[in-house]
Amino acid sequence: MNQEPATRIHKNAIKAWTVNALLFGLFWFTPSIIQMALAINHNSGIGTPWYHGMDWLLFGSIFLASLIFYLLTGVLLPNIRWKRWKYDVSEKEIDMLRGIIIKKRTLVPINRVQHVDTKQGPIYRKFGLSSVTISTAATTHEIPALDDDTADELRTTISTLVRKVKDDV
Amino acid sequence: MESIKQNFITIVILLFIGTSNTEGYFIYFLLAGIAITLVSGVLSWVVFRYRVHEDELQIKKGVLVKSNMYLSKDRIQVIDITEGLLQRMFGLVKVEVKTAGGGTETATISAISRGDAEALRSELRKKRSANGEGEEEAEEVYEEEEVLGQWKLSTKDLVFAAFTSGNFGLIASILGAVSGQMDEFINEETIEYVYEALPGYSDVTLIVGIVIAIIVISWALSFLGVIFKYSDFQLEKTSKELIITSGLVERKHITVPFDRIQAVRFVEGVIRQPFGYGMLYVESAGFDQTQKGRSIVLVPFIASSNISSFLAEFLEEYKEPEYQIRPPRRTLWRYIRRPNYFVLPLIPIAWYLMEYGWLSLLIIPLLGYLGWMRYQDAALGLGDKILRMRYRVVSRTTAIVKRNRIQNAETSQNPFQENKDIRNLTVTAASGAGGMGFETADLSSPDTSKVLKWLMNEPLEEEEGEVSRPAQTE
Repeated sequence: MNQEPATRIHKNAIKAWTVNALLFGLFWFTPSIIQMALAINHNSGIGTPWYHGMDWLLFGSIFLASLIFYLLTGVLLPNIRWKRWKYDVSEKEIDMLRGIIIKKRTLVPINRVQHVDTKQGPIYRKFGLSSVTISTAATTHEIPALDDDTADELRTTISTLVRKVKDDV
Repeated sequence: MESIKQNFITIVILLFIGTSNTEGYFIYFLLAGIAITLVSGVLSWVVFRYRVHEDELQIKKGVLVKSNMYLSKDRIQVIDITEGLLQRMFGLVKVEVKTAGGGTETATISAISRGDAEALRSELRKKRSANGEGEEEAEEVYEEEEVLGQWKLSTKDLVFAAFTSGNFGLIASILGAVSGQMDEFINEETIEYVYEALPGYSDVTLIVGIVIAIIVISWALSFLGVIFKYSDFQLEKTSKELIITSGLVERKHITVPFDRIQAVRFVEGVIRQPFGYGMLYVESAGFDQTQKGRSIVLVPFIASSNISSFLAEFLEEYKEPEYQIRPPRRTLWRYIRRPNYFVLPLIPIAWYLMEYGWLSLLIIPLLGYLGWMRYQDAALGLGDKILRMRYRVVSRTTAIVKRNRIQNAETSQNPFQENKDIRNLTVTAASGAGGMGFETADLSSPDTSKVLKWLMNEPLEEEEGEVSRPAQTE
């Protein structure tokens, strides 16, 4: 019990998360860049802003910063996130460890589990991944990005374990 | 089924509003509104049906969108009966039937006579107990359950509770927001008038005066609120449930089955704590999620020293274990610093923007003191079956949770905490349709492991050391 959980999630998670972040990142990245360019272009006409004459310098540095942030969320974070995600399922509990900066460890007693689901979005499907969702009367927990078979197996395992010990709410 | 009376109420209200507003053509809108309400009211009454049939409570309602609701009897958690002021005038009550589950469902039957409500209640509960017991359904007859214990709120305590109600902070902030809107009253003239009226006027005295006025008004309102809400407060214990009855204007009747109780929470407000009093709540699964705060007030006002004996009488399973775990000494400064993190960036801004902004510096020692109190109060006790956790946000809370009612436990650790080998611990119990988390900050890592271990029912390692158990790596 004192040992931290050891099972890792599927390595493809990194790819899936990267694709996901890069794809959805476009939704804020592109418009914000355009918006910024427009704003700087526009403002330089009115009065003399403090950055007068440095439009491109300013624009360039902001662009660079956004780009770095964009790539960071897309490339670096999925990696760290994968490294930090570990879980274990035993007869008594589901043990989850995660967190990039703040490390969280969650323990769900098996007999508190209300139901278990697997779910899969389009990107996960492409990489053959599913996540397992575990609900208690109070909270919902998710083990993300397991390969489909493992996820199904895990779901079955948990619900079997739950049926064995079930007592209400 | 005679719920047409409900519509009389609506009509009466609307007529009142209508007659008091007879200016201009606005009246036509009102009349139209009344007509629509009336028609839809009558229609919804016409189509509203409920019955108990084959272990189910069935409700049909809806004019345009028809809805049928089927509540299986043995899923029914709570049957609450409420008498509102107007409903009381017509001898009616509102019955709410609640079930547990992810999406807690509530069936409301808004206006039936008291007798019908009682009949329905006993009808629903008869089968429930029969189901609980087993096969013999026929011979099981519902009888009024024996009252095993009773607790009443004395008038003295009620007044004292109203007097010390912490609600006024909330009401004061609302009033404050409202008074901000009243620009028309706060113009040059009135301000000058107030200046002349006040001896030794200045901006400070004006602000202080306004603040005091707001506090006094809101305190009076919250005083009345508590009086109305908890008048004739009565708690009864039967073999299966606790029954809470309270309220002056709106009389509420809340049933809490024992097997639905998830946790007990004792909250000592800032004003009440010095007097040694607090409020006792129960968390119950399947309680209406729209209900404010979701928790049920078990006792609105009780002396801290009486808690143990009260629990022993009404909730004997909740024996409070001794506190064994406290945050280690090395976290004291973290505790003292933490409440200040939020305000520190704000102070320079306040100083810069406002004339007396530097006064905000006074907040620092105040919040530091709050942190120190949090450190003093944080404590955790592991019993045989019960977890007792005391912590303070502003009010001091003591949560008492049964081990097998803990939905999950979570520890979290940020990099600074990692250096000191400490963690935050959150334990969640079900409450309403969601959860109620109890959190203690900065416990030492071995201690949090101990709690997690305890939760998983593994034997605790005693300090003396049992011989055979090999030391585990931490």
